[in-house]
Amino acid sequence: MTRRDTSRGYPVPLIFLIVFIFAAGTVEAASPATVAVEIGVVVASNKGASIDPSLSTLKTKLQSMFSYSSYSLLDRMRRTLAVGETGEFSLPGGRSMRVTPAAAPDNKVRLAVQIMEGGKNLLTTTLGLSRGGMVLVGGPPHQSGVLILLISAE
Amino acid sequence: MDCVKVLRVLQEEMDGMLSPGEAAEVRAHLESCGSCAAEAASYERVGELLRLWTATRSAEKAIPLDVLWTRVQAGIEEKKSRGKGASWARKWFWMPAAAALAVLFLLFYPSGVSRAPFHPRSFDVAVEELESDTATVALVDRGEDLPRVIWIIENDKT
Repeated sequence: MTRRDTSRGYPVPLIFLIVFIFAAGTVEAASPATVAVEIGVVVASNKGASIDPSLSTLKTKLQSMFSYSSYSLLDRMRRTLAVGETGEFSLPGGRSMRVTPAAAPDNKVRLAVQIMEGGKNLLTTTLGLSRGGMVLVGGPPHQSGVLILLISAE
Repeated sequence: MDCVKVLRVLQEEMDGMLSPGEAAEVRAHLESCGSCAAEAASYERVGELLRLWTATRSAEKAIPLDVLWTRVQAGIEEKKSRGKGASWARKWFWMPAAAALAVLFLLFYPSGVSRAPFHPRSFDVAVEELESDTATVALVDRGEDLPRVIWIIENDKT
């Protein structure tokens, strides 16, 4: 009698827990109202010949596209933004970047990006990416090399 | 068998401890000896008195034993009911602990990006506009396998 009661008691909370975990995961995964924006700040130069270990997954891509011998990750910033919310990221050399997600279908992300330098508009663009996609913005000089910004959105 | 020996083993005979032969000898002596028979009779009376006394004591103790048994039964019942509560608590105790663990897991479980930095799933990008007040801006596209690059060419620096 006691045995039967005990075995009957366990599945209910277990099912509840499983449903809770899956529900929480689903809510986070299917939340198109926010965009996690990540910025990687890379300095590329011809001084030395080293690639930052944290860039190992992009090593072949970087070497295919650019002719620099050294790539170093200066900073990595991540911010979760709601649609219409502007996030500001500090960049080396007194520059800054403002990113504003715009409305897009579930698996897409639209980002309004503005890079400022000394109060002037260095770049204004609007990007349409798939969630998990990446785009590079490069060119501004930094020390003896150039800055390359890795912009990705989830 | 003489009187001395009979009196020495008389109690054993009454308790049935003697061999059949010795017991027969003792009984034969008691039939022929009046003093030993009287001694045996007094032994029997003492035995009867002892049995009577034991029965009386048992009757006197019967009531306290009943009370004690009632108490024991009550104690068993109380323990059973306490046990039911404890087993319910044991059964559900892990629930808040598991829920707290799940919340911690969800809070601190690293997302895909932070777990493995820079693992882009796609380089498919649509660039809707490109403007700059101070630089020339170019869009570099070297195919779907490579990221698209927006290159800023600052007039006097790059």
